Amino acid sequence: MTHLSDEILNEYLDDAFSDRISAEKHLAECADCAARLAALQALFTQLDSLPEMTLSRDLAAPVMRRVRGSGFLPRWLTLTMVLQAALALIVTMVAAPFVIEFASASMPALEAPSLTETIVEVQLQWMAWLDALSQFEVPSVPTIPAADISSLSFLFVLAAVSILWLVGNGLLLRNQNK
Amino acid sequence: MDAPLDRDLILRARRGETEAYGELVARHQNSVFNVCYRMLHERGEAEDMTQETFIRAHSRLDGFDLERPFGPWIRRVAANVCLNHLESQKVTIELDDERDAGESDRPEAVYEVRERSEQIRRALASLPAHYRAVIELRHYQEMSYDEIATELRIPLSDVKSNLFRARKLLAEKLT
Repeated sequence: MTHLSDEILNEYLDDAFSDRISAEKHLAECADCAARLAALQALFTQLDSLPEMTLSRDLAAPVMRRVRGSGFLPRWLTLTMVLQAALALIVTMVAAPFVIEFASASMPALEAPSLTETIVEVQLQWMAWLDALSQFEVPSVPTIPAADISSLSFLFVLAAVSILWLVGNGLLLRNQNK
Repeated sequence: MDAPLDRDLILRARRGETEAYGELVARHQNSVFNVCYRMLHERGEAEDMTQETFIRAHSRLDGFDLERPFGPWIRRVAANVCLNHLESQKVTIELDDERDAGESDRPEAVYEVRERSEQIRRALASLPAHYRAVIELRHYQEMSYDEIATELRIPLSDVKSNLFRARKLLAEKLT
């Protein structure tokens, strides 16, 4: 008679042995295999008998502290950040022609001056800027030919983006301070 | 008022409500701690790994399948965290002398239960890390061979042989 191997007995007790019927038939006839199975079963019982331990302290508070400090953001806040970044990029691209046009009209070209000349030039520019600022009048914003957006629409878009930006930052900060 | 379901707490935790996650921790910390204690057999270490388990699980909450129960999932995460910890340490942890509480009132019976439990815990703690992991997942988390193979990312044949060898070692130490 071929005895059941230890591997088969393990699989049998784990309900992972496919041919259970033939194994049971053999176990009913073979005292040696039945004894080995009983010994293995006793080990299972010992492992099952291990009592549960009790935690000596509540870990919820330290875990929450670490979770807050981990910088983990929920998906919707991450999306808010991505949306903000995309908006910032769009606004930069839209505003770039205006800024360049405005800057090129108001600033003279610099011709690789020396350090002293640069400092003097910066000071002069600064004075000129301050002077210009004191007499500043809101210029009419040119329209964007490609999108055909009027100055007023452009200002509305800028205002809307600013509000979105502030709301998004508010949400992010509120989440951080929780 | 009924306590919120784990599923609701997970949804709230995903939206960034740390308190909801704290409630999940409070519910499952003891069972997670027991996984860690069985694998590490040192209370301080087990508490640290319990915390670590919940921190790691929090960062994976978005990937958690809400149709499945949270308890078994977090205990599997705990077993993996402990296994990684043991394998990264490769040093012998000084084992606790702590004894389990017995259910009987008779002092001799309590003593016997505690001694026997301690013997089993020491035998478990003396096993190599990957043997401890398969014993934990099979006997205490009641996972199938296939599930263990998936969880530990090892071949099915390794699950079988590791379990077989682990039990053989345990039987030798406990007789």
